Amino acid sequence: MRYERQILMEQIGIEGQEKLNRSTVAVVGCGGLGSPVLTYLASAGIGRLVIIDFDVVSESNLNRQFLYGAEDIGKLKVVCAKERLQDLNDEIEIVGFHEKISTDNIGKFIDSADVVIDCVDNIETRILLGRACLSRNIPLVEAGVEGFYGWIMSIGVESACLECMGFEHMKIPRPGPIIGTTAGVIGSLQANECIKIILGMKGTLFGMMLQYDGINGSIDSIELQKDNSCIAHRG
Amino acid sequence: MIEVRLFATFREGREKVQFLDAKEFRKAGDVLDYLNIPHDEVAIYLINGRHSKFTDSINEGDVLAIFPPVGGG
Repeated sequence: MRYERQILMEQIGIEGQEKLNRSTVAVVGCGGLGSPVLTYLASAGIGRLVIIDFDVVSESNLNRQFLYGAEDIGKLKVVCAKERLQDLNDEIEIVGFHEKISTDNIGKFIDSADVVIDCVDNIETRILLGRACLSRNIPLVEAGVEGFYGWIMSIGVESACLECMGFEHMKIPRPGPIIGTTAGVIGSLQANECIKIILGMKGTLFGMMLQYDGINGSIDSIELQKDNSCIAHRG
Repeated sequence: MIEVRLFATFREGREKVQFLDAKEFRKAGDVLDYLNIPHDEVAIYLINGRHSKFTDSINEGDVLAIFPPVGGG
């Protein structure tokens, strides 16, 4: 049976597996983070994956975006990703949207989600997703990567969001330097966090940021305080 | 004392955790000057887990976390 090894885990069992099978996760961005996130969530049996991306595969994606191969260059990422993931697990439903997210259409992508995972590379979409998830009370798993470094945190109505931290002022270099292993580590942590949230486990990353340092081989945690004057939380 | 925790590229050429005498610093920006970190390279500056400005005061026992931009996906 496909899931028998994870059903053996006391944190999952048959009941937990059924929770995963019944859940919907929206993944925004099918790039460096999206590749491991989607692969592990599809493998774990998340029943419905909603994937949103507005990009096509380019050669410079191939050092880290392992959902794609050279034959996919020029094709829509959502189409290639859906095909690859459905090969991996044909028991789940995958819905792909080749659309740019905006305040007008975001509900269509995330309203049915139990968890949203942010895998984008720009601040504007991160802020948009943060506000939309807070206003709908949907948990959001956030992460960012550059070079050998990355971070991950979860956002909810009772915990700090990116705007609580002043993230909206951040200027991100484009194109950003990145090695596939960093995206692999952080994306895997995002998928793990999502599974823990769905299972209702303790030890999730609400109010906590993990910082990964691939040069020194360390992970540090930082407690985050919600800002009571935060515009995103006030809605 | 204050605890200063540096992240990502700010660790390169610097200790990742430093304990400094709080009396040496009046403002958050003073710590950046001491560490030779240009103010415009700082993306996130937290004092005790809260978003802070460079003009915010430094107090005994504070824990500072300072990050450069890391926002790729």
